[in-house]
Amino acid sequence: MSRIWAIAFKDLRTNFRTPVAIVWMLAAPLALASLLGLAFGGGEGYSIAVTKVAVVNLDEGAAAEQGGGRQNLGDEMLAVLRSTDLSTLLTVEVVASEAEARSRVDAGATPVALIIPPGFSAAVLSATGGGEPVTVYRNPAQTLGPSILQGVVQQVVDQFNGARAAAAAAVHFGMRQGRDEASLSQAATTAAAAFMSEALSGASGAIAFRDPQVVETDSKEPGVTAVVLSGMMVFFMFIAAANVARTILDEDFAGTLPRLFTTPTSRGVILAGKYTSVFLTVLAQAVILLLAGWLLFRIQWGNPWAVALLTLDGAAVSAGIAVFLVSILRTPAQAGGVSSGVFVTLALLGGNFVGTAQVGGVFGTVRRFTPNGWLLEAWDATMRGAGASDITVPLLVVLGFALATFGTGVLLFRRRYA
Amino acid sequence: MTFIKVENLRKQFDPPRGIVAVDGLSFHMDEGEIYSLLGPNGAGKTTTISMLSCLLRPSGGDARVGGHSVREHPQAAKELIGVVPQDIALYPELSARENLVFWGKMYGLSGAALRRRVGEVLEIIDLTERQDERIEKYSGGMKRRVNIGVALLHEPRALYLDEPTVGIDPQSRRSILDVILQFRDRGMTILYTTHYMAEAQELSDRIGIMDHGRMLAEGTHEELVKIVGEEAHVELTVDRHLEQLATAWREMDGVARVTVEEERAILLVPDATVTLPRLFETAAAVQARINEVNVTEPDLEMVFLHLTGRALRD
Ligand SMILES: Nc1ncnc2c1ncn2[C@@H]1O[C@H](COP(=O)(O)OP(=O)(O)OP(=O)(O)O)[C@@H](O)[C@H]1O
Ligand SMILES: [Mg+2]
Repeated sequence: MSRIWAIAFKDLRTNFRTPVAIVWMLAAPLALASLLGLAFGGGEGYSIAVTKVAVVNLDEGAAAEQGGGRQNLGDEMLAVLRSTDLSTLLTVEVVASEAEARSRVDAGATPVALIIPPGFSAAVLSATGGGEPVTVYRNPAQTLGPSILQGVVQQVVDQFNGARAAAAAAVHFGMRQGRDEASLSQAATTAAAAFMSEALSGASGAIAFRDPQVVETDSKEPGVTAVVLSGMMVFFMFIAAANVARTILDEDFAGTLPRLFTTPTSRGVILAGKYTSVFLTVLAQAVILLLAGWLLFRIQWGNPWAVALLTLDGAAVSAGIAVFLVSILRTPAQAGGVSSGVFVTLALLGGNFVGTAQVGGVFGTVRRFTPNGWLLEAWDATMRGAGASDITVPLLVVLGFALATFGTGVLLFRRRYA
Repeated sequence: MTFIKVENLRKQFDPPRGIVAVDGLSFHMDEGEIYSLLGPNGAGKTTTISMLSCLLRPSGGDARVGGHSVREHPQAAKELIGVVPQDIALYPELSARENLVFWGKMYGLSGAALRRRVGEVLEIIDLTERQDERIEKYSGGMKRRVNIGVALLHEPRALYLDEPTVGIDPQSRRSILDVILQFRDRGMTILYTTHYMAEAQELSDRIGIMDHGRMLAEGTHEELVKIVGEEAHVELTVDRHLEQLATAWREMDGVARVTVEEERAILLVPDATVTLPRLFETAAAVQARINEVNVTEPDLEMVFLHLTGRALRD
């Protein structure tokens, strides 16, 4: 066991002493993450093109009699969208009707439209909610602008809803005190309005408009960055694993592998040491990518257990495939060419570049024959809120791939250096 | 006492058509002796060492190291040997100390014993002062020394050195040869391969001359040299009448053999001091001038030439 660690540790040290290796394993994925950030919005200092939004406000407002005057929450929404905080991201173009708003998008004049329905204020301010939803009408070919708008609208609606929930709680409390219903509803509206204006006055600065992944009310739809990053992460783990495993061939060439074979350390231990170094490298790489996604792009990867198991599983299968490939290839140059080919093919079949796991038909069947297809499916489920037990099947399938590839690799390796 | 016994060892690469690199080789090595395999490029020296190191599986025959068959019990055999490969096999990104520590672990050392041995070996190879520099910054001779040091870590009973002095300066070569002699004196059994006759002659208790995977002759230096007799080898370059002279020399007493190669005549003479002046006299008699004379006492090169008709090297 200690010899396995000695080999793995030596490999990690030699690999990380060569600048090229560091670039490949850490800088490349990080650069990729930053690039994605640039394209999809993210950390500070990125400039994103301003998105035009066509807004129609059909809300008539609702009375908040005891507090005096009328509240028009549609106007409040508009005010948020027009606030200086958002001016670098959105410009608002008010239109007269819903049809016009939709036609602006259909004609390609704006990538997205926001339709605030009649009775919006009334619905929010009533104790029971309901009513027509706010609609974000988007050009499906566009991702960035509509995502930002959706994020903002979501934040505002959430705050309104929060106020209503608080008001509803107050009403409930009042009923137990024995007040009559009419005056209670009055009280609820007043309370809601009060909560609302408080929330709004302090809120606009706190709106997390940088999180384009907040999109729909109830289901956790993963954002574009998250989906693309998970696909790229799986792909880059394969590539990095192959790069590290190639050191087996490099060592064969350099004579250190034959020399290892003249020591009393067995071939199984030597290969296990190599596997460990590949596994640890890829694991480190995955952790860095996950952290980068979380810190730079605020991606919520999901349940920590599911994330941890998936990461380990992904590292195990990357290392297994890499060892298998190395066992059937002869020269380092061959390894470079063939393994890139294999991984790009796998990535195409498995859907790493498509960016979504929700694909049906033939493609949906084909991807089930690839470990990365299963990994992506599980990542997608995890980002949508699945727990570790929900992804048991993909986890086991991927583990099976890992064991099968590593096992075959060991057998071929033994025979080759017999 | 015999420590290594090689019996009818054979290696064919890529059978059934591939080259037979070692072809029915047999020899033995006594404990505590230095045995040199001498042979030209491609003779099969490295292939033989690889089989004795349990790195390559023999296609036929067997070898016993300290009584353990390299076929049946490679693990036990490996515990007893240290192998110094022909090409430097180290991790250039690591320092000498880091290399030694890593390889020590591969030989099963750990903890205080490992640290002690690494320190001792650094002393032996005289690199204590530069132990923390990366190997890639070392000179060729320093790398060769570390290459040898690795094989000494676990204090093996036998040491195989495959051309350990190739391409290094005379000083490093001298220090390597001294280390080898020092270990022989401590009772280590040493298998050495080389192209350089002078090294084989100086170091070896016994020498095996190999070619085409076979053993051509074996013995101490003196025994081998006797194969070509006691004669000195005299090479003469003459400006004219070479054929005529050669005929005259062949008839002289004290000349064993005369061969003519272009401008030169090569003579085997039992006693050069007596015969040389007479060779000049004969040349003067036919009005030929001797431009160059080379006298070589019998050596392994001549033995190889005698056995194969080819030069040992280049
Ligand atoms: N892995 C291999 N596959 C095929 N042929 C090989 C292999 N290794 C060596 N040979 C061949 O076997 C023969 C003996 O090679 P070997 O390396 O044992 O010679 P050597 O005596 O060590 O030569 P040198 O003095 O050049 O080191 C050569 O003809 C060589 O080409
Ligand atoms: Mg050789």
